[in-house]
Amino acid sequence: MQLLSPLRLACGVTSPNRLVFGPHVTNLGHGRALSERHTAYYRRRACGGSGIIVTETASVHDSDWPYERAPLAARCAPGWAAIARACHDEGGLALAGLGHTGLQGTDAYGRTALWAPSDVADPLSREVPREMDTPEIAEIVAAFANAARLAVRSGMDGVEVDAGGRALIRQFLSAVTNLRADGYGGAQRTRFAREVLGAVRRAVGRGAVVGLRLCCDEPGTPGGITPETAPAIAAELAAAGAVDYVVVVRGSLRAPDVSRPDGHVPPGFNDAAARRVRAALPSSVAVCAQGSIVDPRHAEELLTEGPAALVEMTRAQIADARLGAKLAAGTPERVRPCVLCNQACQVRDPRNPPVSCIGDPYSGHESHPPVVPAPVDDPVEVLVIGAGPAGLETARNAAKAGHRVRVVEQRERTGGMLRVLAAGAGLGRLALLADWLTAECERLGVRIETGVRAGAADIDARLATGGVVVLCAGGRMGEPGYPIEEGAVVHDVAELLSLPEEELRRRLPAGPATVHDPFGGVSGVSVAETLAALGHEVTLVTPDHLVGARIATPDDRARALARLARARVGVVKRCAVRGAAEGVLRIEHVHTGETGEVKGGFVVECGFRLPDDGLWRGERLGMDRAGDVVAPRGVYEAILEGRRAAAGIEEMYR
Amino acid sequence: MTGTGRFPHLFRPMRLGPITLANRIVFGAHPTGYAEDGLPTERHAAYYAARARGGAGLIIAEEQSVHPSDRPRERTIRGFDPAVVARHRKVTEAVHREGVPILAQINHNGGQSTSLYSRRPLWAPSPVADPAFREVPKALERQEISEIIDGYGLVAGHCVEGGFDGVELQCAHSSIVRAFLSPATNRRGDRYGGSPANRTRLLSEIISEVRRRIGPDLVLGVRLCCDELVDGGTTLEDAIAVARVLEASGKVDYVGASIGVSTAAPHLDGASMHIPPGYALFVANALRRAVDLPVIGAGRFKDPVQADRALADGHCDLVDVVRGQIADPDFAAKARAGAPEAVRVCLSCNQDCVGRVRANRRLGCVENPRVGREFLPALSSRRAGRDVLVAGAGPAGLQTALAAARAGHRVRVYEAERAAGGQVLLAASTPGRAEFGVLVRNQLTECRRLGVRVEYGRPVDAELVRREAPEVLVVATGARPRRPAWGRGRERVVDVRDVLSGRVRPSGSVLLVDEVGFHQATGTAELLADRGCVVEVVTSAMVVGQDLATTLDLENWCVRATAKGIGETCDHEVVRVGECARTGRLEVELAYLPTGETSGRTVDWVVCALPQAPLDGLYRALRRHPSVQTLRVGDCVAPRRVDMAVIEGERIGTSL
Ligand SMILES: Cc1cc2nc3c(=O)[nH]c(=O)nc-3n(C[C@H](O)[C@H](O)[C@H](O)COP(=O)(O)O)c2cc1C
Ligand SMILES: Cc1cc2nc3c(=O)[nH]c(=O)nc-3n(C[C@H](O)[C@H](O)[C@H](O)COP(=O)(O)O)c2cc1C
Ligand code: SF4
Ligand code: SF4
Repeated sequence: MQLLSPLRLACGVTSPNRLVFGPHVTNLGHGRALSERHTAYYRRRACGGSGIIVTETASVHDSDWPYERAPLAARCAPGWAAIARACHDEGGLALAGLGHTGLQGTDAYGRTALWAPSDVADPLSREVPREMDTPEIAEIVAAFANAARLAVRSGMDGVEVDAGGRALIRQFLSAVTNLRADGYGGAQRTRFAREVLGAVRRAVGRGAVVGLRLCCDEPGTPGGITPETAPAIAAELAAAGAVDYVVVVRGSLRAPDVSRPDGHVPPGFNDAAARRVRAALPSSVAVCAQGSIVDPRHAEELLTEGPAALVEMTRAQIADARLGAKLAAGTPERVRPCVLCNQACQVRDPRNPPVSCIGDPYSGHESHPPVVPAPVDDPVEVLVIGAGPAGLETARNAAKAGHRVRVVEQRERTGGMLRVLAAGAGLGRLALLADWLTAECERLGVRIETGVRAGAADIDARLATGGVVVLCAGGRMGEPGYPIEEGAVVHDVAELLSLPEEELRRRLPAGPATVHDPFGGVSGVSVAETLAALGHEVTLVTPDHLVGARIATPDDRARALARLARARVGVVKRCAVRGAAEGVLRIEHVHTGETGEVKGGFVVECGFRLPDDGLWRGERLGMDRAGDVVAPRGVYEAILEGRRAAAGIEEMYR
Repeated sequence: MTGTGRFPHLFRPMRLGPITLANRIVFGAHPTGYAEDGLPTERHAAYYAARARGGAGLIIAEEQSVHPSDRPRERTIRGFDPAVVARHRKVTEAVHREGVPILAQINHNGGQSTSLYSRRPLWAPSPVADPAFREVPKALERQEISEIIDGYGLVAGHCVEGGFDGVELQCAHSSIVRAFLSPATNRRGDRYGGSPANRTRLLSEIISEVRRRIGPDLVLGVRLCCDELVDGGTTLEDAIAVARVLEASGKVDYVGASIGVSTAAPHLDGASMHIPPGYALFVANALRRAVDLPVIGAGRFKDPVQADRALADGHCDLVDVVRGQIADPDFAAKARAGAPEAVRVCLSCNQDCVGRVRANRRLGCVENPRVGREFLPALSSRRAGRDVLVAGAGPAGLQTALAAARAGHRVRVYEAERAAGGQVLLAASTPGRAEFGVLVRNQLTECRRLGVRVEYGRPVDAELVRREAPEVLVVATGARPRRPAWGRGRERVVDVRDVLSGRVRPSGSVLLVDEVGFHQATGTAELLADRGCVVEVVTSAMVVGQDLATTLDLENWCVRATAKGIGETCDHEVVRVGECARTGRLEVELAYLPTGETSGRTVDWVVCALPQAPLDGLYRALRRHPSVQTLRVGDCVAPRRVDMAVIEGERIGTSL
């Protein structure tokens, strides 16, 4: 594979392969310093086959404090040193992400005005920054150089300078945000970036890597950088800093996170822009492709037929830290897929959640001992009831430890709620995780029996012979919390989505439908789209002020809204359901108490579920549970608890 | 007349179980975000000590978690960790040094929490998801109930060792005990659910355990939710029955009376200025009539007069003054000294206290930049006695002036207009927002006390600066509205400031454009609706007044907007504004951002709340002045909000 071949960069440094772990917010820091958690997180990826690790972007200057744990370059030296050692031990390169978020930061932490090329307000946060004066521009240029010097002195192989979707440098490059009349605006908009890159190159010397993360498209902000104008910028900047590689990204004031959208945006959205940039750059400068690259085949294509010499696969390596190693071992099918859900890895959130992954909850927690069972000498018979994510993850880990595992599932297919959700519009990728878990279980010799309903007798039999039972039976529809009158039709969302399409069409009467979504996540939006696609006129009822309040990023939320609008889904906000009658849903405004009605032949209820714990008979030796049967929540919790249950088998047995 | 004379009720000492309080003013429990690694800090100690020094009768330290299954906030204090004891001692010693008792609030938030930090299932009586956190909790097993009770005991023990004068059980707002008490969240079929006696069992068992741990010489209080205001929830009657059980137990020394469930109606525990003061007193009154235990009344007590009256009227025995003492730590001392008008009265704006804490940031206060920094030495100026001229008497200018005067400089403020306050005056002129204007009154009071000269009708320009030749010029000239490109040449496309200043008086139908997301558009919309205009607010954001959620003002805005017939249109941007040749009315074209589809409105006026432009001409003209050090603060640096104006004023004023 081209992906696994080494690449010699223009500065003379050689990357062992083409696989890049890009810079991203982790919240793993200690204050504004990089922590041991960072080191462990990056070491695991370097060990797993990542050729280049780019660390979480550090602010080069204290006028920038965009989120509480945002690293500050001046405090990063010890962290960089530790990370560099860790990556070098594992044979990889380590580069320091350096940046400044300018007007896209916040004054909530630093409590000073934001710095920006011009006093253009951020349309999302609405914060108005102040225009930097010339000495301040020089100060930031020097700050980039100082940070780069510090990184390299700390042992890093070089730096990656951020001019992407949330970067001050992009704000200087773009006519949307740079309205200056002095020598840094107008035709001179690239000057600041050139100065930064020139200073950085001088600071690190010829032999260190200088990468540039460059925004090549600013969606949603007319007049900004476009794939047509970006190549010339890339060429100019690459020359100014003797840049080794350019990462082609996109992002704008309105859509700062569009470089890492959820699975509704098909991968490959950046390939064309990368191709144009490739054409404009001298061959000594490598192009790094970026953006929802999660499939090794896509990566390989970009390298062999496409524009790229490097590929950034960030979420893919959050989901599977051993991506590179598995490819090198010739087992691409063993790579745990990133399903592009953005649920656990998207952590730019004031609550500071640590980065993680729904498929691998150990991600982000590498500095703690892993929750996996140690290999055992005296294997036990394990019965897992339910083949949803919790059951499969329990089985997978138990089998890995050497136990003899049997999984029984009453449905015809494995995957549980993953499969159900995946049947909704736009969420198909979730099935990949179900497939992977099933395949891994099979590979490890787990016996999976579908269409089999376990009962109390199975549990007793297993326990009686000294075995272990883990109940992973999932959840069931909750009580809707409103009266359902004669003639009203209320469907459980999970039940509907479990049906094959023809069956679904048959079951649902033609005409208008209502979707009640008291949760506000991706599934309510998805089922509304599904019904609209089947030809229903759909109304979505939410208690919130907005649709999809729980969708991971504002970008993903805006796209969800756009899809609903295109599908002509009506939205009723700030309302709770008070009753269902034939053909109507009675609603009440949650703040004013005003009542009303929504027409609809049937209701799809997406409300909170209840544990399906009929088989649970209290805490006892040899029996445990995991996932929704404990309390219906999400895939992340199910997988985490599946691991814990597997790790607890020894104890349960003893 | 001294405060004891003027406020006879407030300053009458009382017994609270085994201890005596010097007065009735309580600094009640509230999360601060000051903990580090789950432990109380120096910052806590100094913060509470400042309120004790300022005369509070009783301090209740912020909530501690009794069990690892409960970590609702990143900076929740881990009361069950033995390492807290040493930290508690630092806190209690600091407060005791001021001669004031301090209690510890302990709690388990149950399902009103998140698993984000604990990575464990939430625990609750029944698998009923909380309306805000929306995580289905795990129904507690018998064994886990015992674990929780043990947790309360363990933590109470740590509090005793840590030197607290007692413990308060949080059983209101957000608590597993509240959830057990309430039929809305307790659906259990065992001894802990069903009948009122069963639902009260957990509370009774916790009380017995905690009392056993703390012994007879320390205080045990219970904060009760007296009306949940949710369907099928605890009512006042239910709460009174519980209070009677508490009284009959003989183990409880007081009850706190609250209303609302903080995750269902957060605007009722941190009520903003839109909710009338004393809104929760009726429950205190009812409890007090039902039981002989002392009752703490809570909810927007802002000034000593009002607090004294609540006691005089027999509503409660003690008053909880939280934000009032955040804004002014010397609230009690000033009242006692007979100078209540000197109190820096809380605005009930919720911006930097409730708003920041809810966003996982450290508690602050828009009026009091020292909040949370009490542990740092006060900045001392290197060169006192400098001659300082401040241009502009908005919040930034006034704060600069008073901070500089405090640091020993000679300060005068020149204001171009005839009154101080700038935009704050405009903001305070919108319906229900008058209390926001108290900021300026407070600053002027302080300026007067410090001998700052404020002159009105005196615009500052380069010529004046040359004439007066101050050593330091601080430019605090604020911001000006920015005219949108689509409004050029249209006289009836105006700014909210034009409306509020009275420069224009729109009538008929008005389209308000909200691109700021705070009170600017919503306040003006209400004003115009009150004057009889037909008003619609349009915004490119997903919510009109999106930041009102942070200050708990969004719910009540919805209610008022509906009552006043104000329309809300989200996700739309103004594309262009034309004028009908025949009627002269404005024809507005809007684009729906998700699809780009356009639609039209015909209105009489368009009023804009847009990001403003700094008025920094004076600063730019003089910043390289050879002899006058020229600085700038507030909106003339970048137009933001008053918190930043005050912070910058304080920073510059103290560091001249
Ligand atoms: C910063 C802050 C945060 C608060 N957070 C909570 C909370 O999370 N839960 C709660 O039940 N009450 C909370 N409260 C309410 C207080 O417990 C108390 O009832 C209230 O502030 C007293 O009224 P006062 O501030 O008007 O004096 C909070 C109060 C403040 C000032
Ligand atoms: C109509 C209107 C309403 C406002 N409402 C608020 C508000 O509720 N909270 C706030 O912090 N700032 C608000 N502001 C902005 C502040 O008034 C402004 O940032 C402050 O006065 C700046 O201080 P300076 O003029 O001294 O620089 C409002 C402004 C206007 C015009
Ligand atoms: S949380 Fe979802 S998007 Fe993120 S890495 Fe894991 S699977 Fe991919
Ligand atoms: S921030 Fe506002 S509400 Fe909070 S204490 Fe200060 S003045 Fe009062």
